[in-house]
Amino acid sequence: MSDGFGRTRRRFLAATGAVTASGLAGCTGLLGGNGGGEKPALADFRGSGPLVSDRPAPGGTSIEDLPDLEGELNVYLGGGEGGRYENLLELFNRYYDGFEATWSVQPSSQLAKQIEQENANDTVRAADVFWSVDAGSLAYVADVGATTQLSSEARSPVPDAFKTDQWVGVAGRARAIPYNTEQFAESDVPDDVATFATDDRFSGAMGWAPTYGAFHSFVTAMRLQRGEETTRQWLEDMVTQGVARYDNEFLVSESVANGEIGAGFANHYYAIRVLARRDDAPIELAFTKNDAGALVNVSGASVLGGSDRQDLADLFVRHLLSAEAQEFIATRGFAYPMISEVEPVGPLPTIDELEPPEIDLQELSNVQPTLEMLRDVGILS
Amino acid sequence: MATSERLERLKAAAVGDGDGAAGLGLALVAAAVAALVSLPLVVLFVRASNYGLGHLLELFTYSGSVTTLVNSLVLVFWVTLGCVLVGVPLAVLTVQTDLPGRRVWTIVAALPLVVPSYIGAFTFVSAFGPRGDLADALAPLGIERIPAIYGLHGTALVLILFTYPYVFLTTRAALLSFDGTLVEAARTLNHSRWEAFKRVTVPQILPGVTAGALLAALYALSDFGTPSIMRYQVFTQQIYVAQRSLGVPEGFPALLSLQLLGVVAVVLALESHVGGDTAAYISRGSRQPGRIELGTWKWPALAFCAAVAGLALAVPLGVLVLWLDQAGETIFTFEPEVAWNSVKVAVAAALAATLLALPVAGYSARSNSVVATVADRLTYVGYAVPGVVIGLALIFFSTEFVTSLYQTVPLLVFAYVVRFLPQAVGTVRSSVLQVDPKLTEAARTLGRSPTGAFREVTLPLIAPGVAAGAALVFLTTMKELPATLMLSPLGFETLVSYIWLVRGAGSYGAAAVPALVLVGVSALSMVVILAQERYNG
Repeated sequence: MSDGFGRTRRRFLAATGAVTASGLAGCTGLLGGNGGGEKPALADFRGSGPLVSDRPAPGGTSIEDLPDLEGELNVYLGGGEGGRYENLLELFNRYYDGFEATWSVQPSSQLAKQIEQENANDTVRAADVFWSVDAGSLAYVADVGATTQLSSEARSPVPDAFKTDQWVGVAGRARAIPYNTEQFAESDVPDDVATFATDDRFSGAMGWAPTYGAFHSFVTAMRLQRGEETTRQWLEDMVTQGVARYDNEFLVSESVANGEIGAGFANHYYAIRVLARRDDAPIELAFTKNDAGALVNVSGASVLGGSDRQDLADLFVRHLLSAEAQEFIATRGFAYPMISEVEPVGPLPTIDELEPPEIDLQELSNVQPTLEMLRDVGILS
Repeated sequence: MATSERLERLKAAAVGDGDGAAGLGLALVAAAVAALVSLPLVVLFVRASNYGLGHLLELFTYSGSVTTLVNSLVLVFWVTLGCVLVGVPLAVLTVQTDLPGRRVWTIVAALPLVVPSYIGAFTFVSAFGPRGDLADALAPLGIERIPAIYGLHGTALVLILFTYPYVFLTTRAALLSFDGTLVEAARTLNHSRWEAFKRVTVPQILPGVTAGALLAALYALSDFGTPSIMRYQVFTQQIYVAQRSLGVPEGFPALLSLQLLGVVAVVLALESHVGGDTAAYISRGSRQPGRIELGTWKWPALAFCAAVAGLALAVPLGVLVLWLDQAGETIFTFEPEVAWNSVKVAVAAALAATLLALPVAGYSARSNSVVATVADRLTYVGYAVPGVVIGLALIFFSTEFVTSLYQTVPLLVFAYVVRFLPQAVGTVRSSVLQVDPKLTEAARTLGRSPTGAFREVTLPLIAPGVAAGAALVFLTTMKELPATLMLSPLGFETLVSYIWLVRGAGSYGAAAVPALVLVGVSALSMVVILAQERYNG
């Protein structure tokens, strides 16, 4: 990557931060009830500000062209981009008079286990839709037979890599290396994760969040791609490097911006959220090539087999892939949209510019060996 | 020991011959309550044994498991010691000395209990962490680095600051209720003030101190939020990760929990060894000894009180207020209904816990039987089981056996009751112990039935203690985190689940208002808890 591109991206990150602050302030007004009875328009789904207002109108199927949502729907919401998914659900509730979504937010993996438990007993059904922030949990729930097949209308907009017949991706989340621009130049950041574990420059300079689900997917991907031994060695080398441990990846990114650490392992949008708080923070993103460091995971949805509102649930999933919802995901959550007619914000590399490892996302549910390894190396316990 | 002899006589009087049938009835009810609150434990045990208890040994073979165990024990030790070192002097200062502004200091010293420890932890990280507010303030003075707040000392510091009030309150109660003339007697026997304190006061207040220390120790053992935020590896974190990670066998977290329960059992055993019989609460008189005059010690004493208040109240509240005007945080909207939900479940939990505590506490205060002791002790186990484990057990229980309870408010309230019943039992029991059994006896000779005597004589006398117990359950329920997250019905949001959500999203500004509301509402319950003391004093 050239320096010119780096500077552009840095300006973009800074601008996005400023935009987010004002855009979200507007959003609160809307959600706070000022616009109570009014039907949300595209402007409500989309973030605001100079960066976003230059965007073309999103392509794809508009909500207006979809059948109306009608009735009550229960959603298990795994995480959710720091509350943004809830805002999207609130927008749907406002859009339709006869529709009311209710949700429960918990970590995706926890909800997946909960659904497994519920599924084991036919009389317990709490939710109609499982909207998870990682493919591993979606696959897990599908594997235990708790989901039902999605309609072809719900599946067709999404590329093959990000769907099965049981679940579809709704938003893309790339692994990234947030780094502190006062401590590292862009050229200092290697394009493979292996170097971080062995190069002296990164001794005492790195941070990670080993209890975090996205991190488990990252290590699982490394295991699948590079094998057990290499992964274990990498983890041990990282520990030898004195990697700092955090509660979640937002904190990793924030500590990078604070200069507490020089770089870290985190999902791509956390750095942008840090900038939403402090737009002059010296933080930038790098992506590795062809390894776990550039894994693209998805947030996605499935319809639960025990639901007696499966048609409504399926239609709801189609709404998540509507032009408006995808625009929301791109401009408010800074995730990668799943339909080709909507662009990711600004000069974030597009999803096909990234070079993720070739891994079946379904296999990311195989976390147990990862956890054992982490525990073995002394990272988890 | 003279006290226990006196207690034996009192108990004998209380469960006298004529009350055999009533005693049996009470025993049955107490046993039933104990069985009810042990339910999650049974579920846990069943789960673990389905998984295979043979795996228990495997737990120790994981590298790091032993470290986790040692870490947990070290943390409990320092927190308990710290709570005693902070709580007992504060109690002595506010009860027995001429400390200026004793009333105010009493309230101030008790108030940190209303601040959830995880809120304390993240405000401390914000204030004292690297590049935190304190570091920012010191930077112009040329101070580059401040000592790291993370790790054992940070975790212990935060837990001490927000749990020492347990020791403070129980020690205070013991000091207030013990017979001051005993000290005067010792003094007339030419004991020095220190010796009188050691030989008379200490044995009298020891049960109060250990009761509080036990609560603090169990809290330290079961807390998840603080060690997690302060980056210190303990048991609860291991359980939490195992519980929510895919691919981990269902029984594994249960097995880990059993291991933790083993530690709890050791703590309980130690407590009953050190604490002796709580009966030393018994006191016939409440005459206060002459106040100790501090003289020039007044200043260090005041500085001590102010330092504790500064760290445990000014820091968290100050940081929360600072967060109030942080920009870029406004994605979340805070609705008052969330606070109302919290209050509703906390009131329900307080009422239910009090109702269940009455028979257990009443029975254990008046009987030495094995059933009484076991019932009393069993209620403590729920307190020591981390909320995340109780949540897990109750999800299993409700999906497997009583599906109509699944994802309902009653099940959530039940989880709170299991967690916090011992607080109600403890306060009610010490109140019952302070009622002279002769009064009940008199009512019985006047023809009242055992329940009639209880209602007309005992209950009015113990009412303030019962109210204080209920207030304590209310307060801790308001703050409870993991069980709330796991058992809240769909769409049912409370203050803590909201705070945890926005905090996880990094929106500290959005956490400020609900956190302040939580602290404010909890502070109201402190009024009830402290009012009970005035009655005692």
